[in-house]
Amino acid sequence: MRLNDAVFGIALLFFAFAVIAYSQTFPATFGQNYGPDLFPVLIGSGLAICGAVLTFRGWGARKVVPWVELGAWAQDRQKLVTFMLIPAALVFYILFSDFLGFLPTALLILFVLLRRFSVAPVNALGIACITTLLIHTVFARFLLVPLPWGLLQPIAW
Amino acid sequence: MLKLSRLGRMAGMILGGVAMFAAGAAQADWPERPITLIVPWGAGGGTDATGRMIGSLLEKELGQPVNVVNRTGGSGVVGHSAIANAKPDGYTLGVITVEVGMMHWAGLTDLDSKSYTPIALYNADPAGLQVRADAPYQSAADVIDAIKANPGKFKGSGTGQGGIWHLALAGMLNDAGIDPAAAPWVPSKGAAAGLQELAAGGVEFVTSSVVEAAALIDAGKVRSLAVMGDERLGAFPDVPTLKESTDLDWKLAAWRGLAGPKGLPADVTGKLVPAFEKVWKSAEFQKFMEGRGFGLVWKPEAEFATWMSESDAGLGSVMKAVGLAK
Amino acid sequence: MDVLLTAFDLVFTPYVLLVMLGAALFGLFVGSIPGLTATMATALLIPITFFMDPVPAIAAIVTTVAMAIFAGDIPGCLLRIPGTPASAAYADEAHAMTAKGLAEKALGASLVCAVIGGLIGTLVLATTAPLLAEFAIQFSSFEYFWLACLGLSCAVMISTGSVLKGVVSLLIGLFISTIGIDITAGHPRFTFGSVEMMGGISFIPAMIGMFAVSEVLRYVASNRQKPQVSQQAIGNVFRGLGPVLARYKINLLRGGVIGTAIGILPGAGADIAAWVAYAVSKKFSREPEKFGSGHVEGLVDSGCANNAGLSGAWVPALVFGIPGDSITAIVIGVLYMKGMNPGPTVFLNQPELIYAVFVAFFLANLALLPLGFLAIRLARQVLRMPQRVLMPIILMFCLVGAFAINNTVFGISIMLVLGLLAYLMEENGFPIAPTILGIVLGTMLEDNFMSSMIKADGDLLGFFSRPIALVLGIVTLCIWFLPPIIRALRSTRGRAPQ
Repeated sequence: MRLNDAVFGIALLFFAFAVIAYSQTFPATFGQNYGPDLFPVLIGSGLAICGAVLTFRGWGARKVVPWVELGAWAQDRQKLVTFMLIPAALVFYILFSDFLGFLPTALLILFVLLRRFSVAPVNALGIACITTLLIHTVFARFLLVPLPWGLLQPIAW
Repeated sequence: MLKLSRLGRMAGMILGGVAMFAAGAAQADWPERPITLIVPWGAGGGTDATGRMIGSLLEKELGQPVNVVNRTGGSGVVGHSAIANAKPDGYTLGVITVEVGMMHWAGLTDLDSKSYTPIALYNADPAGLQVRADAPYQSAADVIDAIKANPGKFKGSGTGQGGIWHLALAGMLNDAGIDPAAAPWVPSKGAAAGLQELAAGGVEFVTSSVVEAAALIDAGKVRSLAVMGDERLGAFPDVPTLKESTDLDWKLAAWRGLAGPKGLPADVTGKLVPAFEKVWKSAEFQKFMEGRGFGLVWKPEAEFATWMSESDAGLGSVMKAVGLAK
Repeated sequence: MDVLLTAFDLVFTPYVLLVMLGAALFGLFVGSIPGLTATMATALLIPITFFMDPVPAIAAIVTTVAMAIFAGDIPGCLLRIPGTPASAAYADEAHAMTAKGLAEKALGASLVCAVIGGLIGTLVLATTAPLLAEFAIQFSSFEYFWLACLGLSCAVMISTGSVLKGVVSLLIGLFISTIGIDITAGHPRFTFGSVEMMGGISFIPAMIGMFAVSEVLRYVASNRQKPQVSQQAIGNVFRGLGPVLARYKINLLRGGVIGTAIGILPGAGADIAAWVAYAVSKKFSREPEKFGSGHVEGLVDSGCANNAGLSGAWVPALVFGIPGDSITAIVIGVLYMKGMNPGPTVFLNQPELIYAVFVAFFLANLALLPLGFLAIRLARQVLRMPQRVLMPIILMFCLVGAFAINNTVFGISIMLVLGLLAYLMEENGFPIAPTILGIVLGTMLEDNFMSSMIKADGDLLGFFSRPIALVLGIVTLCIWFLPPIIRALRSTRGRAPQ
């Protein structure tokens, strides 16, 4: 997805002002002349300047560069769904891994993604199972990462 | 639509059944699966080192793996919250530190010492007063006089703003009747960074524990003038207490203890406390703590709770006095 | 001489050698998985080293870390996903070489440079540790502030394309580093009441997101297939390396020295060493335009620097008990436990133990050569898989890696958000390297600036008040302002005769 520089510029300007405004709520610190707001304000100012220049540039080039140019993939419905599936898979893990447990969640995500990337069903299931078990053994067993058991707690090994 | 909702209900029933099964299983004989020990400070620090030692010794005692997990950041708030918010089933324990009694006064969290089930206090290290080896001060009284005579000129360091060693300095000055702002605090990422500043000549004194300065004292870069505790330290018999040196009765110690989330069942604590006591008394643990110079203290359950509430109240009054409380 | 012989005897026992081999395999594995860092590997070793004698305990740590830092280059080169933060600086470059069919050359160069860097660092450590530590301990917040500034100028040097977009990217990184409780005032910034946010944005999940997740997204979005790694024969990685090393021998030495020096300074480790070495390499290269397009020169410098930095970090740790990086912070604890209390006296009281540690350092770095070769060959097997199978598996490994840093799903959220951000940025010509550098250096810059201002009572001249700070300050200002001034002068002089 390509955007005209001006779109970025304006977004940066808004963001910069939000940062600066919010930094004003930080308290002054005990016994000090410089508070926690100094750096955010400096960074915000820098972003505001860059944003203004980008806006100016993008405006100049608006005849050549369109405001928003979606990549070919975004017009392709199938590809768009696949693209959205990646963040969706991560969000699914974030929300449900604790309840479902690592094994079911990882298995499901891997299987769905592999199928979506058109791996044959049997292969996809096999690969998902092996990968999930491998990761679980290595990380939870040997590297002591506390991957959640979730629903499988009673049969935890 | 109807079909979908029925499906959903069925799925819900199945999940509910499994969950009940899971809950039922959790009440059997503790411990029957690995225990997680949360350390709210980073790998490599003193809390982490003691936590890992306890973890590996407790593992032998309880016969289940004890996984030490670092949950760092936010001046300890992140890790302390994780311990307090864990399920009180005995499978998540944690090392809690003196900051429990500080962060709620600073307005960072609502958690305080009552948010935990105390198991036992195992370590306390009093603050010290360290200066550069070539500094003109011969005693803690010299330092206090110098601050009094030149308010704002001499700076101290040793931890972040409002951290435990900052309170050590501020509280000492407060007791001596000097405005704590007379010795501005230069925040640092922990004692090692503060001591580096001290050796480099960036600050005038560091009020970390004496142990943390041991290597630099050995190297002849730093001297310790006083220890803010009841008595002198075994490892540093030449360093007088603050009271001996200045008549000020100001004491402050950083401490560490084992705890669980609030509401740990009695059958868990009934097994855990004796197991931990065995660990604490073991030759390995004693040798390890003495080797690093950590102060050994043992206060189980109720004594630990009393210790924490006293510590909490003391820190609160200092933080209010020096304007660090919200 | 007797001491040295005793030291050799201590190391060359079957037990110690076996421990080192085990540690080496562990290190190679941990290093090659994104999200598992050398620091974490060290922390995991601690309970095991409890039950060992001092020499095997420390040899295990030394070996693990040396292997892990090299192994981080492997996924960086083949997949553009650095295995440890120390490989982030040149993951782009190495992957560009892979895309050109030069994976073999890139990995061979990484490996040999890592070995050479490690040896340079160890040599410095073994010969001049007390002297250098004496110098390093002179650094206060003023000096560190200037160093952080120098580090930031690297961001502009290494970024390709529009300078303006490079600056935006840097500022975004700096902003990210301000999230969380600041140590200067203890105030939570931009956390919106979330306890997880108070801990700040962890660097590792951020890095995994910006490199790996954005890579997976790009794979999904791109129509064309990327060049298949599996189609390239990775045969003898050492072939044709001789001329490369001969040509860039100055770079090797420079990378080694920069790496060691940055390693020695407390608070800056192998990751920053690699960034700085890469930027210096580009700055002084005769062909800077080739950087970023798959040119081996930068790899030589920075691959050498990060392994050298590891040994450097031991200098202040051994002499003053002040950690040079996060790994030695853990090591100091082990030293105390083993009765080798850090301090200048450790060289006098137990010289044979210290020399045994140095011998272990040399041995570990030499062992890297055959074992690293083995790891590269193994990695090739993994990469035989077609990408449509590989990508979901990579995503799952990254997910677990991001979780493992703090054992919380918040790490995965960071990874996701920054992955999307990095994808959007790269699509629009914003380089991501400066963002990552901003996150790395932001805290160092701010903390030291604030500390310095408090120490100097707000007087900006304080930044020039100490000899080393004065030199560093002048160097920094020259680097920033001389090139534009010279350019301006040249253009006026060029115009004058007309």
